[in-house]
Amino acid sequence: MASLEDELLDLVAEEALIDRAKLVREATLEDVGLDSVDVVSIVFAIEEKYGAEIAEDAFKNTLNLGEFVDTLKGLIEAKQA
Amino acid sequence: MSGRIFVTGLGAVSALGLSAEDTWIAARDGVGGIEKVLFDPGVNGPEGHTTAVAMVKGDALGALEAALGRRVGNSLDSFSIYALKAAHEALAQAGLAGGEGLGTRAGAVFGHGFAGLHTLEAGFERFYGQKAARLHPLTVPKVMVSAPVSSIAMEFGVKGPVFGVTSACSSSGHAIAQGAMLLRAGMADVIIVGGSEAINTPGCLRAWEGIQAMTASTCRPFSAGRDGMAIGEGAAAMILETQAHAEKRGAAILAELTGAGMSSDAFHWTQPSLDGALSAMGAACEQAGLLEADQILISTHGTGTPLNDKNEALAIHTLFGERAMNHPVIATKSLHGHLIGASTALQGVIGLQALQHRLAPAIANYLGPDPDCDLNLVLGEARAIEADSLLLNAFAFGGLNTSLAFKRWG
Repeated sequence: MASLEDELLDLVAEEALIDRAKLVREATLEDVGLDSVDVVSIVFAIEEKYGAEIAEDAFKNTLNLGEFVDTLKGLIEAKQA
Repeated sequence: MSGRIFVTGLGAVSALGLSAEDTWIAARDGVGGIEKVLFDPGVNGPEGHTTAVAMVKGDALGALEAALGRRVGNSLDSFSIYALKAAHEALAQAGLAGGEGLGTRAGAVFGHGFAGLHTLEAGFERFYGQKAARLHPLTVPKVMVSAPVSSIAMEFGVKGPVFGVTSACSSSGHAIAQGAMLLRAGMADVIIVGGSEAINTPGCLRAWEGIQAMTASTCRPFSAGRDGMAIGEGAAAMILETQAHAEKRGAAILAELTGAGMSSDAFHWTQPSLDGALSAMGAACEQAGLLEADQILISTHGTGTPLNDKNEALAIHTLFGERAMNHPVIATKSLHGHLIGASTALQGVIGLQALQHRLAPAIANYLGPDPDCDLNLVLGEARAIEADSLLLNAFAFGGLNTSLAFKRWG
């Protein structure tokens, strides 16, 4: 069974039409070509799939994909707890 | 009309197939796409209901992604996916796909009766039904009526006049006429014209049922016992070019657009008018020199509603007089349903192939004659024809009419 992190990265690749192999924790959102609309689309898909509620400004201090995914994992796990 | 306009490419997505050729073959062979489908509005809506519709079969998105060689994903509503697929096919046939983009002398004009209703309805179900405050960030660009032409422009580098037009069931008729006018005005050399529609959603179909024009069985144009229309979905595209542009690049010409009539009934939301239909048909036939033609293939609006078909039959008799029975009459909405804003373009794609093959596809689901619809109906199976010209009618709710004339080439 895929880990939550793998599931989230699969979803990022699907929503933003990015090659999954490029999605490594060290890459910045800019490096992999994620713009602000992509981020909101991903957030939207995650809310639909996991029922989590994600604030508009949840990622304002995010530096790279690792932090992006960690933030999402935290919100999803808080919802599921 | 002065300044010759040629058709050099065709494309289609419909309940009859994911290409112009597949759509033609199914129409020719009488393999219709109308069926009863259950539409379930989900936990926040009323009970699901079953209605006769013609849905696109197969994986249109997969076919588009294969054609473009890239992923499209969730970025487009169905009405843009269909339009982009049809446009790509038409451009490929015209020898204009690929390369560095079509540039500033190319345009795109598409007609749609509605907008991206799948996206809008799903978003509003989330908002009103699930009480979720946030809608998908691409809701507006996916829903807007100009989304299909914008997607076509971005995909193929179309940098000249690009816009959508809307006139309910005549939308793509007006789009084709607009494309021809842009070419004649010297504002472009090549225009991708057509239409698309994807409105088979639980809420929208309920709205259509409210207007009392939907069939309880199936679409049977000009037949005794006809009781209404069946909604279809899909898209169709044509490449229109000026004579100079087509000849300069040695394009293979499929047909010539020889006439375009447009009129408004200024009368009633849902009832047709003889004067309005006659005005559009008469203008197209006069421009094309068809009023005295020995034989014309008439692709009727032919929705299968009691009022439209009676009015259209009377218009054909009034316009052509004793020649009316010379002209084979087809009604392909009996096969692919009514694609509203995309119907005229799809019927054009089928009709032009009928001229090429000199074969008229039969009207499906016919039960028997109605004295109000005494026409030279093509019934049973496809019929050999001698016609060189196609007359293509569209008479929209709200009284907006187009009639287009095409002539086969070669």
